Amino acid sequence: MIDFKNVTKEYGKDTAAVKNVSLHISAGEFVTIVGQSGTGKTTLAKLMIAEERPTRGSIVIGGWDITHIRHYEIPVLRRQMGVIYQDFKLLQKKKVFENVAFASEVSGTPSKKIHKIVPQVLKIVGLEKQVDKFPRQLSGGEQQRVAIARSLVHRPKIILADEPTGNLDSINAQDIINLLLKINKFGTTVVLVTHNHDIVNSLRKRVITMDHGMIISDQKHGKYIL
Amino acid sequence: MFFISIIRTIKFALQNFWRNIWLSLVTIIILLLTLIFVSVLSALNLLGDQAIKSVQDKVDIDVFFITDSTSDQLATAKGIIESYPEVKDVTYITTDQALENFKVAHADDEQILASLDELEENPLPASFVIKAKKLNQYDAIIQRLDGESFKELILSRDFQDNAVLINRISQITTRLTQVGIGVSILFAVISFLVVFNTMRIAIYTHREEVGIMRLVGATNWFIRGPFMWESLLYAVLASVLTMALLYPAALVASPYVNAFFEGYTFDFVLFIRSNFWQIFLVQMAVSLGLSMLSSMVAITRYLKV
Ligand SMILES: Nc1ncnc2c1ncn2[C@@H]1O[C@H](COP(=O)(O)OP(=O)(O)O)[C@@H](O)[C@H]1O
Ligand SMILES: [Mg+2]
Repeated sequence: MIDFKNVTKEYGKDTAAVKNVSLHISAGEFVTIVGQSGTGKTTLAKLMIAEERPTRGSIVIGGWDITHIRHYEIPVLRRQMGVIYQDFKLLQKKKVFENVAFASEVSGTPSKKIHKIVPQVLKIVGLEKQVDKFPRQLSGGEQQRVAIARSLVHRPKIILADEPTGNLDSINAQDIINLLLKINKFGTTVVLVTHNHDIVNSLRKRVITMDHGMIISDQKHGKYIL
Repeated sequence: MFFISIIRTIKFALQNFWRNIWLSLVTIIILLLTLIFVSVLSALNLLGDQAIKSVQDKVDIDVFFITDSTSDQLATAKGIIESYPEVKDVTYITTDQALENFKVAHADDEQILASLDELEENPLPASFVIKAKKLNQYDAIIQRLDGESFKELILSRDFQDNAVLINRISQITTRLTQVGIGVSILFAVISFLVVFNTMRIAIYTHREEVGIMRLVGATNWFIRGPFMWESLLYAVLASVLTMALLYPAALVASPYVNAFFEGYTFDFVLFIRSNFWQIFLVQMAVSLGLSMLSSMVAITRYLKV
């Protein structure tokens, strides 16, 4: 599903954020990427959604070589991937329903389909009773669940979560991880970037550890080793 | 799906239009001022041209012939004059016609008509009205006439030189055009900057939405669409408003304009009426050009995709 071959990303001369990374993630996997701050985890995530281009190497997503992806092809890629961030990225002036519907609206989904799919994804994340609330009326965990619901409207093959629990207390964080596990059970590939030891250790899933832009360990049922 | 997206981008554009209604109004007003200025300038230019044409139409040489001249002689003379390369046309006014014209011109004046009736013979001479192709050819025609064999038949010659007047009018219109073009450019630059700034602010207010749109896979044109529609809306509203303001203004002004052109075949209102759509389209093109171009620049600069 995700293939990196000798990928290097340099932001300027001699500042490689990702160095010669090769990795393979199969369809349906739940992968955790860990590492200290500034080791290139976010850069790796950005490379997957073509927000950044690799300086060297090649990247294939779902059989599609996106190394030299064209500008106008990026939206097609983004509709196959759901992306979740630490800061939720919700629109404060829109209600829960509208925030989720927005993702469908702007990619040309007919209204009828939007009204069918939005309640479905809100039900998956357990927010079917909060559709008319504004983000500020929700807890952090609930806001993150809205963001997850939004990432699901395109029925993505891959969910990419970059520190999704960074702003949450441990109970809310565990809720979000459980939700991601549930989505993974439906067959969606999940890539989780985090530096939360407890979560990583309790998951017992594949753990890729990064340091200074390089992969220093890749364990099938890993623990947080740093 | 294509149709849905067009409707949605228009919806987003209208929402933004209302959200920043004051900014939208300022943008429309500056476009409006530009259009009004350019239109008034064009109207003055047109009127200047018409004035020159009217005066030009009035310039001719009247050649009067002695009563002894026969119609054969005059017909020959007419043929000769018509063959001059400078001559556009020659109108032959016979003594009878001259009398007729005179009567018509003094139809209100009983005394003159009565005294005319007392005369046994027609006192009015036959004449030619000669028009040159160009204004500066009259001297050449006069010189030729002086060299002709039918010179002794000529009673008198009347040539009123309006060159001074024409020069003055054309000086004024040229000056007007020069100043006008300068000020028009200034207006265009200002409205370009205002539209640019409005779009910049619109893009800035929507930076979050735009970021999320990109994240969830909205296409580039969908992201840009609302901004393009918005600038289109400015342009259309500005040109419609300009027409709505200028047309009544032209109606009010037209009696004065027409009075100025008394006796000439020019009717300001008729001109505007028969060219309404052309004028409207030109205004639309100007405001669309300005508004779309500057928002395009703003979009490529501030809406990185
Ligand atoms: N846009 C950028 N321009 C320049 N340097 C960057 C940029 N983004 C990240 N970096 C640098 O790349 C390195 C890796 O950053 P990042 O991928 O964000 O790490 P992490 O997500 O693991 O904290 C850091 O040293 C960071 O300063
Ligand atoms: Mg990061």
